[in-house]
Amino acid sequence: MQRDTLVSFEGVVKRFGSFVAVQKMDFEIRKGEFLAIMGSSGCGKTTTLRMLAGLEAPSEGVIRLSGKPINDLPTWSRDTPMVWQSLALFPFLNVRENVEFALKMRGIGKVERRRRAEQWLDRMQITEFADRNIAQLSGGQRQRVALARSLVVEPEILLLDEPLSALDAALKVRMQSVLKTLQRETGITFVYVTHSQSEAFSMADRVVIMSRGVIEQIGTPQEIYRAPRTRFVADFLGSSNLFSGRVRPGAAGGVELETPAGALKLGGDGVMPADGTTATVTVLDTKTHLSVTPPARSVNVVPVRVVGEEFVGATATVYLETPQGQEIRVQKGHDELADLPLGIGQDLFAWWEPKDGHLVAEA
Amino acid sequence: MRRPVSLYGLTFSLPLLIWQLLFFVFPLLFLVALSFWTVKNFVMSPDFDTVNWTTMYGRAVFWQAYGATFALAAGAAALTSILAFPCAYAIAFKLSDTARRWAVFLMVIPFFTSYLVRVYSWQIFLSDNGIINVMLGWIGLGPYPLLNTVGATMVGYLTLSFPLVVLLQLFSLVFIDRTLIEAAHNMRCGRVRTVFEVVIPSARVGLVIAALFAFILSFGDFVSPIYLGGGDPTTLSILITDTTKSGQQWPRAAVIALTMIGTLMVVAFAAVQFAYKGKTK
Repeated sequence: MQRDTLVSFEGVVKRFGSFVAVQKMDFEIRKGEFLAIMGSSGCGKTTTLRMLAGLEAPSEGVIRLSGKPINDLPTWSRDTPMVWQSLALFPFLNVRENVEFALKMRGIGKVERRRRAEQWLDRMQITEFADRNIAQLSGGQRQRVALARSLVVEPEILLLDEPLSALDAALKVRMQSVLKTLQRETGITFVYVTHSQSEAFSMADRVVIMSRGVIEQIGTPQEIYRAPRTRFVADFLGSSNLFSGRVRPGAAGGVELETPAGALKLGGDGVMPADGTTATVTVLDTKTHLSVTPPARSVNVVPVRVVGEEFVGATATVYLETPQGQEIRVQKGHDELADLPLGIGQDLFAWWEPKDGHLVAEA
Repeated sequence: MRRPVSLYGLTFSLPLLIWQLLFFVFPLLFLVALSFWTVKNFVMSPDFDTVNWTTMYGRAVFWQAYGATFALAAGAAALTSILAFPCAYAIAFKLSDTARRWAVFLMVIPFFTSYLVRVYSWQIFLSDNGIINVMLGWIGLGPYPLLNTVGATMVGYLTLSFPLVVLLQLFSLVFIDRTLIEAAHNMRCGRVRTVFEVVIPSARVGLVIAALFAFILSFGDFVSPIYLGGGDPTTLSILITDTTKSGQQWPRAAVIALTMIGTLMVVAFAAVQFAYKGKTK
C-alpha cells in the first residue's frame, strides 16, 4: 500500500439478494485527490460510495480508511460526510442550523459552533441567507448549504453523489468550478459519483469508470480519453472509432490488424498482441483525418462515404460509413473542414497515424 | 381574481352547505340562545338573561370540573402520544411493506366494535373481582382497587384514541424522506438521537394533530370518566348530565357546552399554529 493512500477497497463485493451490485472491487483513493466514479445507472457507483459512507455493508472484502478496516464501523462513527443527490437538507432547520448540525452532534459548544458555521457560510457566500428556511432558497444556494454542512467538520474525505444533477446547465458549470476550487484549496479528498462524462472529466484528477459492478478503467481523464482500455470505455465515451480484426505480421514489418475495412497498421505503444489473435484498436475522432484523394502514404487508409454532419459549437462532427457499413466519426474545427466537400454521399478517404491507434483489452 | 359561482360548482357544494347550516350552525346558534333562557319552576322560557353564565362561572364545582377535564384530556393526549409513538415508529420503519399493510389493517379493527362495548369489557378486567385482580390473587397479591380510579379513566381514554393516534402518527412518519435519516446518521447523529433530532421534527405536523385528536376525544368523552372513573373526578361531560337532570337546567348545561366548544377551538387553533410554526407556504 502506498503512503498516500487514504481509502482502499480490497476484493469488495456487494450483493443485494441474488443481484450483485459490485463485483470484486480493488482500488485505492489517494489522499487529497479529486476522484470521480463514473458509469451509467445501475453500474454500482452509488453502492460503492454508500459502502464507503457506511450506509451499506460490503458482502465480502475489506474497505480501509487510513489503513484501518471500517467494514463494521457504523456510519455515525465514521468521518465520511456525504452530499446527497437530493441534498437531504433538513427542512425544519434554517440554513445556519443545518450547517451547525454536524458540529452539534460532535458536542461542540454553541460559541465555537457559531464561529465555525459562520466561516463556512462566508466561504460558500451564503451568509445573507443564514436565517432563511431551506424552502426559500434556489437550487444553487441549496447546493452551497449542502456543501457547507458537510465541510464544516473539515473532514479528510467528502463523498458526493451526483449533487449537481438537479441544476440547469449553466449553474452546473458554475458549481463545477466552485467544487474544483474548493477541493484544491482545502486539500480534502473528494469522491464524486456521476453519470456525466463532462462533470467527471472537467473536475477529477482521476476517473474510475464502472460498468455492471466492475471497474473498467482507472486513470486521469487524459489517459482515459486518449486510450480507452476496454471496448466498453471506448463506447461509453463515444469519442473514438473502433476497428476489430485478426492480428498478423505486417507487410512492411510490425504488426497489422486484418479488419473488414482493410489491413491496419498498429502503432508502437504497449505490448503487441500475438499473431492470429483478435484485437480491437481505437482511434480518437479528433485524430482521424479526411481527404478527397488518397494520401501519399498507404497505411491506415479507409474509403468512406459521408452520411451526415453535425455542428457542435467550435467543432463539427462528420459521420461517415465504410463500404462494409461501419460508422466512422471525425471531429474537426470548422477551418479544417472548410476545404472538404461534405455533401451526403460524397466519397472520401479516412486515415490516421499508426501511433494514434490504441489497442483495447478484449472483453 | 374572484371566480364566478357556477351552477356546476353549486350542485356539489350546496348539499354540504345546507347540511352544515342545518345541523351545525343552527344548533350552535340555538345553544347560544338557550344559554340566556331562564328556568322557573322546572319550566324553561325564552329570555335574555346572563344569570346562567354568572351562576355557572361563579361556582367552584364548575371550575374544579373544568380543571380536572382539561388536565385529564391533556394527560391522555400526552400519554397516548408517548405510548403510540414507538408503535407507529416500528410500523413505519421496521416492518416490510406487507407487514405494514397488515399492521394498518389491525389498527382499524378496534373501530369495528362500539367504544361503549369496549369500555364495558374493561370493567370485566378492572373490577375488584375482575380478571386482573383474580390473576394477581393467584400470586398472593391484591385485590387492588383498579376500577373507579383516574388510572381506569386513562385506560378508557387510551382505548378511545390509541388506534387513531397510531394511524395519524404512522401516516406522518412513512412520508419522512429516508435520506434525511441517513444524512443525520452520516453526520454522527446516533440512532436514538436521530429520532429526536430528525424524525420527530420532520413528522411534527402529524404528531401534533394526532395529539390534538386525542385531546379532543378525551375532553368531550362521557363514557370513560363515568363507567371506568366512577364519576370521580367530575368532568364537564358528567356535569352537563347532572345539570340537565337537576331541575331542567338546560340553559346552564348550554353554558358548560359552549365553554367546552370554546376551549376546544382555542386548543385546536393553538395546536395547528404550533404544528405549522416556522413553515412558510
